[in-house]
Amino acid sequence: MRSNKGTWLLLAPGMIWILLFLVAPLIMMVYVSFWTQTTFSIKPDLTTQSWVNFFSSDTYFGALLRTIKIWLTVLIVTLLIGYPVALYIGQFIKNKTLQTALLVTCVIPFWTSFLIRVLAWRPMLGKEGAINIILQKIGIIDAPIEVLLFTELSVIIGMVQIYVVFMVGPIAFMIGRIDESLIESARDLGASASTIFRRIILPLSLPGVIVGSIFVTVMVLGEFATASALSGRKVNLLGNIIITQVGSLKWAFAAVAGVVLTIVMAAFVAVMLRIVNLRNQI
Amino acid sequence: MDKVVSLKWFLGIFTALFVLFLYGPFIVMGILSFQQGPEGGPQFPIIEWSTYWYQHVMGYAPPSRVAPLPIGEALIRSLTLAFATMVVSTVMGVLTAQAFRRRFRGSGLVFYSVILGMIVPGVLLGLGMALLANQFGIDRNWWSTAFVLHVVYTYPFAFLVMLAIFNRFDASVEEASLSLGVSPARTFRKVTFPIIFPGVLSAMLFAFTLSYDEFPRTLFTGGSDVTMPLAIYGTFAVEIHPNLFAFGVLTTLFSFSLLVIYAILLSVSTRRQRARASGLQEDIS
Repeated sequence: MRSNKGTWLLLAPGMIWILLFLVAPLIMMVYVSFWTQTTFSIKPDLTTQSWVNFFSSDTYFGALLRTIKIWLTVLIVTLLIGYPVALYIGQFIKNKTLQTALLVTCVIPFWTSFLIRVLAWRPMLGKEGAINIILQKIGIIDAPIEVLLFTELSVIIGMVQIYVVFMVGPIAFMIGRIDESLIESARDLGASASTIFRRIILPLSLPGVIVGSIFVTVMVLGEFATASALSGRKVNLLGNIIITQVGSLKWAFAAVAGVVLTIVMAAFVAVMLRIVNLRNQI
Repeated sequence: MDKVVSLKWFLGIFTALFVLFLYGPFIVMGILSFQQGPEGGPQFPIIEWSTYWYQHVMGYAPPSRVAPLPIGEALIRSLTLAFATMVVSTVMGVLTAQAFRRRFRGSGLVFYSVILGMIVPGVLLGLGMALLANQFGIDRNWWSTAFVLHVVYTYPFAFLVMLAIFNRFDASVEEASLSLGVSPARTFRKVTFPIIFPGVLSAMLFAFTLSYDEFPRTLFTGGSDVTMPLAIYGTFAVEIHPNLFAFGVLTTLFSFSLLVIYAILLSVSTRRQRARASGLQEDIS
């Protein structure tokens, strides 16, 4: 029995911290979303007015749809770009040192401030940006492409570059863990490369895909900085809505947007976790 | 077999392009940070190479129409906050992971509620915390409301790192020490800690860099005294100048020096451990 007490003593600081500063704020957010919002203040009289306003307003409901659209686009693109890279690192690089070096190369950009990384896309994508200059020099295009900056496309490009590594890492990790003899024996038994991929590598890398998708999802859904830096405030995601609502002291409204975001995210993560048990993968 | 070889080449080229995609903006940013100042803007072409914007960031440039970045105090705040976050979250991470070495009821719930801290988006948590602080009339400051959220965010990382370390940990050395009558506290200090030290170092590195760069959680909870990332975020609203790029290059160099310190500490600790192990062997023989 003594050992049991010791366990809970070790857990206590972390659990108290989580309850006070993670669970309580989230509950508070849900609670406040039902408060009455007047022009400059909120009153704790329960009402569903903010919820009705949210879903009946084109601006806010539109922002929800746009957020979901951009999230799904980024998710699919990061998977399409990330999987081949992870496959190369995990399966085709046999030298362990080289493998680590490649992964570290992917992670190094994270040691630059997130905001600076977002900002660095501006001189890349602009009308007189690096991409347009290079494409014009080579002679692929005559006039600069203008849709590159301050559009939804620029937001998507920026997000993909920032978050794709979170897809590559988990997948490369799972592929690298596949027992080499498994693939050898499949090959000896006459399986083609595509069969080996379909029957062995793909299913065994699935937990990596799930974990990567969860990472990308929670990060993209909580985003606002990339959108405000690369869209010239033209593309408003739910995150941006929360920022502007707080700025104008519409707390109840910000809380509604926050709760909606949480529900979308929780639903996705719950579905993903049904497919794979995270704890067994560590 | 030919198909596999060509696939390998294709994937190799794909990966090279991918790395270029990751680094492209940095290269451009690095080049543009040497733009002429103060007239030169944040775009091509380079009018004339100069280090003007570096001087500008350091505060050595003569006053011009471009306002200096509000760093200095913000930098000190961020470093202090990152340091405090690092200490608290690493200690809590080690404690929690230590508890997980034994099976206990409700471990699944505890595991997922800790992980929740790194999963819940910062802007939501920041909003919730701000509402909570308003409700109880607590002032929002970078060292109070923002600090506790930073720990919520970095603690799961520290916990996961330590959990992975403990999973590969040979408990028999500890048992040997305990059965020889060494007290648990002394065993932890003399036996357990040296073995898990590389993990602790990684956890600290994670916590420090994550907190140092964190801003969605700080945005609503940091109060009026801004931290470094908030100072940068503030410049988003106005026209950007190459001084931000110069600042980006400088902060990247700073982060790399942190990384180098980490690598040196790690190699020193492994070398010492190896030396100790070989010393032990000599003692035995």
